[in-house]
Amino acid sequence: MSRRRAVRSGGPLELPSTTRRGFLGGGAAVLAAALAACGRTSPVSSSVSSSGGTASSPGARGSLSIGAIPDQDPQVLQRLYGTVADSMSTALDLDVAYQPVTDYGAAVSLFRTGDLDLVWFGGLTGVQARLQTPGAEPIAQRDIDADFHSVFVVNTATGLAPSDDLTPLAPLRFSYGSETSTSGRLMPAWFLQQQGVDPQGFPGGPGFSGSHDATLALVAAGTYQAGVLNEQVWTSRAADGSVDPAVVRYARTPGYHDYHWLLGPGATDRLGEDLGDRLTGYFTGLPAGNDVLELFGAASFVATEAGNYDQIEEIGRQLGLVS
Amino acid sequence: MTTVLPAPVAVPALQRVRARWAWGLGAVAVLAWSLVGAKLLSGNVVNPAGSAQFGRFASAALSPALDRPFLGVLASSVLITVAYAALGAALAVALGALGAVAVARTTWGRRRLGWALSRGVLAVPRGLHEAVWGLLLVNLLGLDPWVGVLAIGIPYGAVTAKVFADLVDEVPRGGQEALLATGVGRLPAALYGLLPPASGGLLAYSFYRLECAIRSAVVLGLIGAGGLGYQLSLSFSALRWDEVWSAVYALSALCVLAVVAGRAVRRRLAAPRSSADRLRRDPALTAAVLVTLAGVAWSWWYLAVSPATLVSDRTGQQLAYVLRAAWPPDTDGPFLREVGTAAVDTVQMSVIAIALATVGAVLLAGVAASPAGRVSLPRRLAGIAVRLALLVLRAVPPPVWALVLLFVLLPGVLPGALALGVYTLGVLGRLAAEATEELDPRPRDALAALGARPVAGWLYGVLPAATGPVLAFALYRWEVAIRDTVLVGLLGAGGLGALLASRLARFDWGAVTTVLVALVLLTVAVDLVSARARAALR
Repeated sequence: MSRRRAVRSGGPLELPSTTRRGFLGGGAAVLAAALAACGRTSPVSSSVSSSGGTASSPGARGSLSIGAIPDQDPQVLQRLYGTVADSMSTALDLDVAYQPVTDYGAAVSLFRTGDLDLVWFGGLTGVQARLQTPGAEPIAQRDIDADFHSVFVVNTATGLAPSDDLTPLAPLRFSYGSETSTSGRLMPAWFLQQQGVDPQGFPGGPGFSGSHDATLALVAAGTYQAGVLNEQVWTSRAADGSVDPAVVRYARTPGYHDYHWLLGPGATDRLGEDLGDRLTGYFTGLPAGNDVLELFGAASFVATEAGNYDQIEEIGRQLGLVS
Repeated sequence: MTTVLPAPVAVPALQRVRARWAWGLGAVAVLAWSLVGAKLLSGNVVNPAGSAQFGRFASAALSPALDRPFLGVLASSVLITVAYAALGAALAVALGALGAVAVARTTWGRRRLGWALSRGVLAVPRGLHEAVWGLLLVNLLGLDPWVGVLAIGIPYGAVTAKVFADLVDEVPRGGQEALLATGVGRLPAALYGLLPPASGGLLAYSFYRLECAIRSAVVLGLIGAGGLGYQLSLSFSALRWDEVWSAVYALSALCVLAVVAGRAVRRRLAAPRSSADRLRRDPALTAAVLVTLAGVAWSWWYLAVSPATLVSDRTGQQLAYVLRAAWPPDTDGPFLREVGTAAVDTVQMSVIAIALATVGAVLLAGVAASPAGRVSLPRRLAGIAVRLALLVLRAVPPPVWALVLLFVLLPGVLPGALALGVYTLGVLGRLAAEATEELDPRPRDALAALGARPVAGWLYGVLPAATGPVLAFALYRWEVAIRDTVLVGLLGAGGLGALLASRLARFDWGAVTTVLVALVLLTVAVDLVSARARAALR
């Protein structure tokens, strides 16, 4: 019979004395760690905080959480976003925390829940966010956003020459970008419909590559014979020579309103009614060549208003993307 | 030293089992139907022009991004991923322990209906992929570390509850019955009579869950919960393959660590050092448990998880908002037809994926298994190469596979199916190799002694015995593959995942509910079929 079994059946006591003490000690350590966590800011809910300290400190300065999902070089921009947070923080005397988000759907939800106060939305996602969050207002857009364009690209194997006629695209395998992208999905679908091409038609149904760069790569591969993407991305990829020669520009869409900064009602309640104006002032007052402007690929920011996105809302409703 | 193996049991005369033949023919028919659905047998599916794009992805494997700032970013991301995995697994084990009580046969005794119902309830959390849980939880909790922890903990907790319950149910009853007979209450009898003999299995499975949680934590990063997967998805969306590979290698290293540590612990549990008569605490195991508990405490501190968030007013409001929007589900006729078509695509994708993974796993298992005894250097190197290749196959997330395979294939169900197949091969290959290592080595040794070449020895000595366990694993992974189709579908490869992504993009919560219900039902159905098939194999 083992010693422990002997003990259990009433034999002389010689239990390993560490059991209970060890258990209690371990429990206390866990509890201490849990309590210690209370004073900490989670690395996943505010990765880049401005120099002013934690976002939740109840000091005299208010705090603002901003978010953005950049279209170009997200891997570089997301990792450099501290610049924007620092610049805003200094100019507005606020603690600004940048929250990383990868997905537009998540950004819309986080804006609704109030986790994000100020978000750089695309045209369509901005409309979705505004409809779900009463009291939200557009603050500023880039100079290029008032007249934004998409470009249709085709694989050279199709033999198509550039043209404004979109009907030759109908029998091709075709890919949009991300599902809720304004420049990679919504507006191109609208312009296709205007010319009598069913935007959900295409052989095998349209693809959704997920990003502008993926669209370019898939059209270059010939998996999809044609696709559409944000003109800004196309121009910058063409400028740095990274576009595969198998992809050529086919058509450019008419202009429309796209990206903008959207401010949530929670921040206005917290930081004063004039917050919107102060933010607009900050963005429009950025001097040419400023780091923030460079980051956004813009010459300047300009004021904007909700009415600019009425067309997007209407098209979104028609295509079933806004309900 | 020679090992003495038990004398071989007399093998019954080989005969055809009707049930197995029926299942086999059924499987072939389903596979053929799936291949037809994927247009593999009709028309062209290959796009050779895309090989250059695929080549860019493949060649970047040899030149991963190694610049200092990026490696720094990766290092801090690794910490987040580990913290999520540790907390998620800890929560899963806690939920599993509680849930096991509710679903064990021991609890229900002869009341089969109650038992079946409680098992049915588990199918809901289990039927949804971690990424889907993540997407839903973001809507309730916003940017909170709980999202990642719960997204791993809830589905894993349900699986763990099922496995824990089975483990406890299978323990010999003697101790418990003796205690009950002496008048001990039911609870103490279970605690002292059932738990100690089951504890080894419970601990082994807990460590296995921790290994799995690391890969899940990466998947959660893809939907924005932070960590390694988040960095991977950023680089992926800009197609920076060199950075993607760096992240994949970091993940592979993490997985190797987890697997090696987990296997060491499980080996130790399977073959305790102390003799059966003297119960002594194994110091190595105690250390492993304590280090893991410390790791969980550190993760709690590092992620700054606050239980208050879960019960805050805001969470309640968001829950009410989502529930109001999500009910009633969309039961519109045309939409239901769309769900039906997508469900068929999902099944076909999963079948092709599992078929590819099974064939690959059976072919590779012999090479991947570490052979016992002394072997030649080339054979050893081949084994290491195959094992590393399998590791990379499962370290590259399925959405990445889906895109790079889309370069060389034409759009449709096939790229998604193959992406899942390649990923599942990575997982199944390892399981198959482990199963092969545990086979009786004597038939092969006998063939070798008679002068058979290695290939013949494998074909006649290993393959027949390995097929059973590998098929059982494959059937089990089939259910997992159904859930994983959501992952490739979220990137547009078709099936219920693509439908879910498009409805989520529209914030059409009623339709989202319908798709989720369809997914759960499909998982339950596949689970039932696979359980029957496994029973026929036994």
